Amino acid sequence: MRRFKKITILEWKLLTREFITIFFALIFPVMMLLLFGSIYGNEPNEFMNGYGIVDVSTPGYINMIVAVTGLMSLPLTLAQYRERKILKRFMASPIHPMDILLSQIIVNVMLTLIGLIMLIIVGIIVFDLKFYGNFFEALLAFIIIMLSIFSIGLFITAISKNTRMANAISYIIYFPMLFLSGATMPLELMPQTIRIISKALPMTYGVELFKGIWLGDHLIDFSLELLLLGGITLLFGGLSIKLFKWV
Amino acid sequence: MNIIVVENLVKKYKSLTAVNQISFSVKAGSIFGLLGPNGAGKTTTVECIIGLMKFDEGFVEILSLNPITDNKKLYKEIGVQLQETSYQDKIKVKELCEVFTIMYEKPLDYHRLLEQFGLIDKTNTYVNQLSGGERQKIAIILALIANPQVIILDELTTGLDPKSRREMWECIKNLKREGRTVFMTTHYMEEAAYLCDQIGIMNKGKLIAIDSVEGIIDKADIDITISFETEDDVFHIIKDELNKKINKIEINNTKVKIYTKSEDVLTDLIILLRDKKINYRKIDIKRPTLEDAYLKLVGKEKETEGNATI
Repeated sequence: MRRFKKITILEWKLLTREFITIFFALIFPVMMLLLFGSIYGNEPNEFMNGYGIVDVSTPGYINMIVAVTGLMSLPLTLAQYRERKILKRFMASPIHPMDILLSQIIVNVMLTLIGLIMLIIVGIIVFDLKFYGNFFEALLAFIIIMLSIFSIGLFITAISKNTRMANAISYIIYFPMLFLSGATMPLELMPQTIRIISKALPMTYGVELFKGIWLGDHLIDFSLELLLLGGITLLFGGLSIKLFKWV
Repeated sequence: MNIIVVENLVKKYKSLTAVNQISFSVKAGSIFGLLGPNGAGKTTTVECIIGLMKFDEGFVEILSLNPITDNKKLYKEIGVQLQETSYQDKIKVKELCEVFTIMYEKPLDYHRLLEQFGLIDKTNTYVNQLSGGERQKIAIILALIANPQVIILDELTTGLDPKSRREMWECIKNLKREGRTVFMTTHYMEEAAYLCDQIGIMNKGKLIAIDSVEGIIDKADIDITISFETEDDVFHIIKDELNKKINKIEINNTKVKIYTKSEDVLTDLIILLRDKKINYRKIDIKRPTLEDAYLKLVGKEKETEGNATI
C-alpha cells in the first residue's frame, strides 16, 4: 500500500508536468465558461426552460473534463508507457504494472475532480452558478459517467498497437464527443442533424444525465441513459480486460 | 554453483522457432555473454530466463527458482536492464530511483550508487535530458538498487559512443568484483572478449558454440597470419624451409603473407630471413580474434544451411 501510494504520488507529479493535459482539463473548460457566460449571461432563458445558460452548460463542461482525462490523458499515457516498455520493466520488478495502471486511473480521476471544482468555483463567483439537484445523486451520476468514459479510454489503449494509433483513435473519438454531444454547446442550440448524430455518441447520454440531475431531476428519470452508460462500461471495460497487453 | 541453468529451451512464435533447443549454465560470480546477430534469439532467451515470456519446452532455473511460477520471489533477487527501455517523459533521476527504492525490502542507497557512477550532480535532472551513456548508467543503477546477486543486461551498450561503451565495461567489471553474477547479451565482439568468462554464440535460435573466449577462438580453428614486406623473391626459400609448418603463402608485389597454426613460425621465419640475408620490413603477426572466430562460426552456419536447402 505504501508502494502504491508513492507510485500514485509520482504519477500525479508527472501528470501535472504535462502542460497540454493540464490546459485542456483545467484551463480550457474555465475559458469556455467565461466566454459563453459573458456572451449569454446566466439570466433565466426561455430556450433553456427558464434556467440560465451557465447553469445548463456547466454540467456539459464537466463532461468535457471527463473526456480530456478519460479519452486523452489516460489512454495516451498508458499507450506511451507500453510502447516505451516502462510497463514491461515493471513486470520484471516486485511490483506489477497493474499498480501503474491503477495509479494512472486515480490521478486522472483526481485531475477531473480538480477541474470540476475549479469550474464550479469560477461559475459561482462570476456567474452566480446554481445547483438544483441532490448532491449524492450528482456524485453517483458523475461516477457512472467517469466509469463509462474511462473504460472507453482503456479500450483505446487495449486495441492500439502503438502510441500513434492510440493518438489517432483518441482524436477521432474525442473531438466529435466534445462538440456534438452537448458537452461544449447545449444541443438545444444545435441543428436537427447534429442532434441526430449526437444520439450515437456515448457522451451525449452522460451530458443529458448530468444536466438533468444538476437541474433537479432524479436518477430514476434517466433509466435509458443509465442503462446505456452502464452497458458501455461493461462492454468496453470487459473488452479492455480481455484485450489489454502489458507489452 | 550455477546461478542460471537452461536445458533444451524452446520458444516458438507461430511458425518461427525463435529459440531452438539451447542449453547452458552460468556460474556464480562470472560474466556470461550471449552473442549473436540481430534476430538470433538473444532477447527471447533473456526474457524466458527472467520469466517475462513463457517458453514451449525445456527447463530454466535461476537462483534455484522457476522463473514462471516463482517470478515474484525472483524479481526481489535480480536486477534487470531490458533492451530499449525508456522512462516516463518528465521524470527526474531522483524520482525514478525512489520508485525503485520502495519496491525492495533491503534496497541499496541510490545516492551512493549515483555517486559511484558519477551521476550525483544529475539527481534533479530529467531523465530524458541525460546522454545515452548516462541513461544506460541509470539502467544499471536501477538494476542495482535491489542489491541483486545476479544482473541481467540486454544489449546495454548498443548505440553508445566508444568512450561511453568503455565506461560501461568498467561498470560491468566492477559488478563482478563485487561478487555479482552478470548475464549479458551484446553484439560487440570486443566487449564480449574483454568482459566475459563464458560466451555463448547464438544464430537462428541455436547455440552454435559455448566456451571461454580462448576456447571459442580455438574451436573456430583459424590461422595466424604473419606478414612482412621485402624486395627479394622469398617464395621458394620459405616454401622449402617452412613448408611443414605453414598452410599457405600469399605474395602480392612486395607484400608477403604466411598462414599458419603455429606461432613458432615467426621465430623460424626471422632466423631464416637473417640467414639468407634478406632485407625485410613491417613484420607483423595477427592472431585470430573473437570477431574472426564469430564470423567464421556464424558464417559456417549460413553455408551449411545454404547447402541443406539445395
